[in-house]
Amino acid sequence: MVKVCIPRALLYYQYYPAWKTFFERLGAEVIISPPTNKTILNLGVSRAVADTCLPVKLFFGHVMSMMGKCDYIFAPAVTSLGNKAYNCSKIIGLPDMTRALIPECPAILGPEINLDKGRYHFYRNIYDLGRYFTSNPFKIKKAVEESWRSNLAYQGKMSSEGLTPVEAIDIMCHGRQEPDSGPAPSLSLAIAVIGHPYVIGDDYLSHRLIHLLESMGVKVLVPEMVPEGTLYDAAKRLVGTPHWSFETDIIGAGEYYMEEGVDGVIDLSVFGCGPDSMMVNFVQHRAKELKIPFLHLSVDEHTSDGGLLTRVEAFLDMIKWREKICV
Amino acid sequence: MRVGIPHFGNVHVAIGAVADRLGAIRGKDIIIPPPMTKKTLDLGVKYSPTEACLPYKLTLGSLIEACELGADTLIQARGTGICRLGYYARGQELMLHDLGYDARFLTLDISHHKFANLLRLMKDITNDTRGNKMWLGEVISAFFFGIAKLIVLDRMEKVLYRVRARELDRGMANLVYKEAVEATNDALSVREVRKIAREYTGRLNKIPQNPRADPVKVSIVGEIYVVIEPFANMDIEMELGKLGVEVERTMTLSRWVKYSLFLNYLGINEWRKVHKLAGPYLDHDVGGDGWESVGEKVLRAQEGYDGVVHLAPFTCMPEIVAQNIMASTREDIPVLSVACDEQMGKQGMLTRIEAFVDLLEFRRRKRDGRKVCNAG
Repeated sequence: MVKVCIPRALLYYQYYPAWKTFFERLGAEVIISPPTNKTILNLGVSRAVADTCLPVKLFFGHVMSMMGKCDYIFAPAVTSLGNKAYNCSKIIGLPDMTRALIPECPAILGPEINLDKGRYHFYRNIYDLGRYFTSNPFKIKKAVEESWRSNLAYQGKMSSEGLTPVEAIDIMCHGRQEPDSGPAPSLSLAIAVIGHPYVIGDDYLSHRLIHLLESMGVKVLVPEMVPEGTLYDAAKRLVGTPHWSFETDIIGAGEYYMEEGVDGVIDLSVFGCGPDSMMVNFVQHRAKELKIPFLHLSVDEHTSDGGLLTRVEAFLDMIKWREKICV
Repeated sequence: MRVGIPHFGNVHVAIGAVADRLGAIRGKDIIIPPPMTKKTLDLGVKYSPTEACLPYKLTLGSLIEACELGADTLIQARGTGICRLGYYARGQELMLHDLGYDARFLTLDISHHKFANLLRLMKDITNDTRGNKMWLGEVISAFFFGIAKLIVLDRMEKVLYRVRARELDRGMANLVYKEAVEATNDALSVREVRKIAREYTGRLNKIPQNPRADPVKVSIVGEIYVVIEPFANMDIEMELGKLGVEVERTMTLSRWVKYSLFLNYLGINEWRKVHKLAGPYLDHDVGGDGWESVGEKVLRAQEGYDGVVHLAPFTCMPEIVAQNIMASTREDIPVLSVACDEQMGKQGMLTRIEAFVDLLEFRRRKRDGRKVCNAG
């Protein structure tokens, strides 16, 4: 059986259920790299140019950790998801960078997904991708349809049940049990954590920020819990038609949750993230207007658990203190 | 209406020329901020998001200086693209309003219908300023006058690169070129511009040169703003020239105007050869100038250049992709990547380029089995 490796980094958190379905329907075995750890980080850092942002370095680390264990590495270049909005250059150049930096890695499946170039271009690329596994076009078509359905199910699960991407993937793909919806613990604060799912979802990168907040009795809201159309509209209200596909979710969520009246917003971004550096500025400005506490957390290779904890604690204390005074 | 523009290479010369032709008065109708200094950078850094890129910070600083001089309408580029440029105008407008400047932003879309957008922008501005309707022909004629100045300056710059690497008396060529820019800026007709070009090119060529000089040749590639604006790259071209290096750069303003505004519409792509050469390593656009940087490295290696200097603003996304890929191309040519930001120090940069030039000369000696004759 052909083994396809999906590195547990970057777009894994957005599309894993869809990709898994697609490859499995084509008769391939899908394996994912282990959760991020220090070794994987060091592997990635050793290859990439120093200025590269941390999630991309981690991607290289994940690829290197899977060397010799699979036949193909899946690293798509997701250029555009339509609406004249593009993605960050590093995501567009991902297969090319992987090929250049890790010459010894197994064959890379790097289709270009560019919905801006029209349907034909997209279908053609997907078909070419499927041809690696089967020569039967109907089988590919069926795989694509099922993959699309599982993507919708994944998104629906997150927005209807209020799950984070990692929880939803655990339930859908790894057969973990759904958490008991027993008596909900009394959560005093609702805080929106905005940021790329590959930063928030990666326990090593985010220093388990979500668990940390939950253990402090905070209800955490992430962008994926809101349907995509709502996010797009909210982003449009804030900056007009967005140019970056993935930023739409982040600033849209910021705007949406602030309008809903959350107690605070935490932006978790990595150092050197180009799109975030511009877009979060607009959310921050809006938070100032609405007088909602806003915390910008920037993580990199050198961020420590302790430093992050102190800042989050101080932020929560500030919110509680503020509410006491206002009431 | 008082129009302010950010600095970008010699763009102010062209815009000044257009304004002259359209009857605007410099300093009153059109405000060109003072040349960029440390103060511009400090202003930009202070009021920008920390992780924004250097061109954002510099243009913001420049626009604040224009506002201080009384500009109420600012021009900034915009584009729906992959790079951060698309949000410059929005972010800067927000910041200027917070600072209390009541400035209106006119954006120039440089990703689609560039030429039409540019003419529309110019027409809007002139109609507003003069109060009467402007004939489109007048606008076009003014526009070509501006371009004529850009072309002349870029041609003289090419001569400057050649002379600077060979002159016996270091610094002469730069002085002449600076005078030439001033003279071109003041010229009032195309004929005068041509005369200036002849005169100063002649003066540049007459500068005593070392006839035996065989300078190392370095190509400058990278992100367009930091490549073209000398303040952003700490005058790296001049510093390389001082070390007796012949610099070459493909990216110039007149070339951009020529192709992006005219020839691209006819299906002529100036980068076709470069893109083709980049093909084995990167075969699609990654935004900004990343694709071109990779291709140009390959091209320069084939053309027998000694080295490539790759300039990029710190955390520039397209150039990081380029940098990651450039390192492992088969073509054997040394690349010096310089990340430009507000933390960059002149001495640090000088040390790096000196070491780089030493390396290039050493490689040459080794290859030819002879000593490089360095001018001066």
